[in-house]
Amino acid sequence: MASSTREPTSVNAQPTSSAAMDLLVEAGAVLATSLDPATTMGQVARLTVPRLADLCVIDLRNDDGSIRDVAVAAADTGIARELEDLRARYPLDPRGEHPVARVIRTGEPQLLPTMTSELLRSFAQGSEHARFMIEHDYHSAVVAPLSAGERTLGALSVLRLGDGELYRNDDLELVCELARRAALAIDNARLYSEVRDVEQRLAAILVNLAEAITVMDERGRLVFANQAAADLLGAANPAELTSAVPGTIMPRFLVLDESGRELDLEAMPGRRLFKGEQPTPLLVRNIVRATGEERWLNVRSSTVTDPDSERILYVVSVFENITEVKRAQLAESFLAEASRLLAASMDYSETLQRVAQLAVPQLADWCAVDLVNDRGEIERVAVHHTDPVRLALAERLSRTHRPALDEPTGVPEVIRTGRARIFTDLEPETLAASARDTEDVELLRAIRATAVIIVPMAGASRTIGAITLVSSDSVRRLSRADLALAERLGRRAGTAVESARIYTERTQIAHTLQRALLPESLPDIPGGEIAAKYSPAGELNDVGGDFYDVFGYDGDRWMLVIGDVCGKGARAAGVTALARHTLRAAAMSGQSPAEMLATLHEALRRQPMGADLCTVCLVAIERASEHRRLTVTLAGHQPPLLIGPSGETTQIGKPGTLLGVVDPIDISESQAEMHAGQTLLLYTDGVPEAGRPSGQLGEQGLLELCRHAPRLTLSDLLEQIERAALQSAAGRLRDDIALLALRLTDHGPSRHQSRSELVR
Amino acid sequence: MLSLSGELDLASAPILESEIESSDLAAAAMVVLDLRELSFIDSTGLRVLLAAHERSTERGQQFALTQGSEQVQRLLSITRVSEHLRIMASPDELLV
Repeated sequence: MASSTREPTSVNAQPTSSAAMDLLVEAGAVLATSLDPATTMGQVARLTVPRLADLCVIDLRNDDGSIRDVAVAAADTGIARELEDLRARYPLDPRGEHPVARVIRTGEPQLLPTMTSELLRSFAQGSEHARFMIEHDYHSAVVAPLSAGERTLGALSVLRLGDGELYRNDDLELVCELARRAALAIDNARLYSEVRDVEQRLAAILVNLAEAITVMDERGRLVFANQAAADLLGAANPAELTSAVPGTIMPRFLVLDESGRELDLEAMPGRRLFKGEQPTPLLVRNIVRATGEERWLNVRSSTVTDPDSERILYVVSVFENITEVKRAQLAESFLAEASRLLAASMDYSETLQRVAQLAVPQLADWCAVDLVNDRGEIERVAVHHTDPVRLALAERLSRTHRPALDEPTGVPEVIRTGRARIFTDLEPETLAASARDTEDVELLRAIRATAVIIVPMAGASRTIGAITLVSSDSVRRLSRADLALAERLGRRAGTAVESARIYTERTQIAHTLQRALLPESLPDIPGGEIAAKYSPAGELNDVGGDFYDVFGYDGDRWMLVIGDVCGKGARAAGVTALARHTLRAAAMSGQSPAEMLATLHEALRRQPMGADLCTVCLVAIERASEHRRLTVTLAGHQPPLLIGPSGETTQIGKPGTLLGVVDPIDISESQAEMHAGQTLLLYTDGVPEAGRPSGQLGEQGLLELCRHAPRLTLSDLLEQIERAALQSAAGRLRDDIALLALRLTDHGPSRHQSRSELVR
Repeated sequence: MLSLSGELDLASAPILESEIESSDLAAAAMVVLDLRELSFIDSTGLRVLLAAHERSTERGQQFALTQGSEQVQRLLSITRVSEHLRIMASPDELLV
C-alpha cells in the first residue's frame, strides 16, 4: 500500500570540502536504505568516525522527555562500550546543563570548540561521568539538533578527543546538515511504522471480514485478497489469487446480470472506475463453471488515489454474497407465480404444463410432471425443455417408456416413498447405476443431465405424482439449495391438482344435476325468438338456485318463468324442481299467474324442512290484434325489462311478496303491450350483483348493455350480458346468473297465426 | 341489538344463524338487527333474516331491523319483506 514518506529536501548548506560532500552522499544512501531508526542511526554514527569525529553519539528524546542514546560510535570500540554502559547507569538529565540536553531543549546547535575540565565537570552526570570525559580527554564538540519540523527528536554529537583538530563553524554546518537528514529519516521511519500499524490493523480487519475483498492495481493485478475472496474465487488462499497471472481467474466463472444476460467484465464496477466512470453497485449472478454452483453477488468498488496526482492507484472491491437472500426472494416470487398459475385454472393438465414452463429455465433446463392416474399408472402429463429438439426427443421417450410404480428408483420411488431425491454430478457411470432402466439412462443422456431433483407432489392422504427437475446445458446446476424450493413447488402443485380433481368431480355432478333441472331445449314461440343463458356460481360448484322455464299452455298462450331459490346444493335443487313443476301444473289447470304463485307459495310452506323461499317472475304472453299482451307477475323478483327498438328500457310489473315465508303474500298482475322489434329480458339478481362489492355490473351497467340490444341478435345480446357479468366478477361468480329473453319478429304474428290455426 | 356489517350471503349466513341462537339474544325482550353497516344481502341472507324474525316471534320477542344500504333496502322492498318487518331509520327510534 502507499505510504507517504517524505524525500529529504535539497541541501541548503554548502559543504566546504568534497570529503564533507562524500559524507553527506554516503549518509543519504544509508538513510534511504533502511527504515529502522536504530540501525540507521548506528550507520550514521559510524560514518562520522573517524572522518569527522573520534566519538559520535546520537541521542533521542523519549515521549516522556527522558533522553536515551541510540547509537555510539568511536574509533576505539572500548570507549564506545564504556560510554554506553555509563549512559545506561547515569542517564542524561533532560533539564540539566549537558549540551545534549540543552540542544534538545532549545533546538539550537552548539559548537564547543574547546572544552576545559571545569566545563566538563559542570555538565557531567556525576563524578564517574566527569572522570570518564576528563580521562578520555574530551576536547572539542559539536551538538546538532535532530529537528523534524517544529519538533526536536534528539541530538547528534560529534567529539574530538585528545589533541586533534578543533571544530569550527564549517563543521557545525556540516553536522547540522547531517542531523537534519538523520532527523528526516527518523521521522519517516516513525511515519512509516504508524502507517504500517494502520495497515496491519486494516489488513487484520480485511482478512477477517466475511465479505470478500480484493484490491486490484491499474494493471489488473490483484495486490490483496482476503480469505473470503479466496473462498469465493475458488482459491486455496489469498496468495494464490495475488500471484495469479491477470486474466486467469475470471474465466473460471460465468457472470450474468440480474436478468440472466452474460456480462462483459468491462462492465464490472472496478474496471469502470479505472476508466474514469462512476459505477453504482452491481448485482451479478456468478456461476462457477466447474461445479455449476450459483452465487448472487453485490459488487461495490471504490478507489485509492494518489493524494498528489489524484491518479487511481488501486480499486478496492467488496463482493457481498447475497445468495441466500436472493435465492429466498426468487424462491418466493417463483412460488407465488406458480401458485398463481395453479389457482388460475381448474384444468390441471394445462396448469401443470405452465408450471413446467415456469420452472424452465428459471430453475432447471428440463422439467417433467408425472401423475398417478385412476388405474394406478404413472403418466407423464407435462414436460418442458429449453431446447425444442430435445423436448421432442424427451416426449418420444416418455411416451414409449412408462415406468411402473414398483420400480426401485427415480419417479416411482419418490411417488412410493413420498421423499424427494437429488442426484448431483451425474456422470454416465452414475447414470447407469442409479437408473435401472436403459430407457431412463438414455433419456437422461439425451438431455445431457448433470443434476436431477425429483420431488413428490403430495395430496391430502398420499403422493399423487412427482416433479422432475433436470439441469443439463446451462452452467448453473441444481444443488441441495434448490431442494427446499422444489419440495415446496411439489407440495403446492400436489394440493392444486388434488383440489382440481375434486372440483372437477363435483362440477360434473353439479352440472349433470343442473341440466336435469333446466329445460333441455326452448320451445319455438310463433312470431318470436327466444334465448336463455345460465352460469352457475363457479366458486361453490354446487347446484345453483336460479331456474327458468318456457312453456305453452291453454292453446296459444306462453309462459316465461325465471326464479331464484335461495340457498344452494341438493335442498335448493329440490325446491327448484318443485317450483318448476308446480308452476307448470298450475298453469295447465287454468290458474292465473297470481294464482300460480299462490299455489307455489303454499307448496313451499308445506315443505317439511321449514322456510324455503323463492323469488319468481312470470310473464304470460298472449296474442292481441297488432301486438302481444304481456301479464307480468312478480314475487320478490326483479321486474323484467322491455327494450324498445332504439334501446330504451322500461321495467314492467309491480313488486310482489317473495314466496314461502311471509304470510299472507301480496301479488298483483300488471299488463303491458309488446310490439314487433321489442325485446323482453328476464334476469336474476346474480346479473347486476356480479362483481360485488367492487366493480359490480349494476342495474345501470345492465341498462347500458340493453341499449345495444336492437343491433344484436338475441343470443349475442345474452352472451354480451353474460360476458360483462363474468368480467366484472373476474371469472368468479358468487351467485348464479340466469337470463331469459324474448324478441318479437317483425312479420311473425300473421304467419304464425295462420299456422296455429292450421294446427288447430 | 346485533350489528351486521359487510355482506350477508351464502358465505356469511351461518354466522348470523348461530348468533341468533346465542343466549344473549335469546333472553332479550327485543331483537334488533342493525343493518346500517350491511352493504349487501342476497336471497340466502334474506332467508336468514326472515328465519331470525320467525325465531324471535316464537320466543315472544319483538323484532326490528334498521335500514341497510341501498341494495339491502331495494331487495327488502322488491320482495316486499319490508312490509312484514318493522324497519327503523335508526336505533334511536327505540328510545321514543
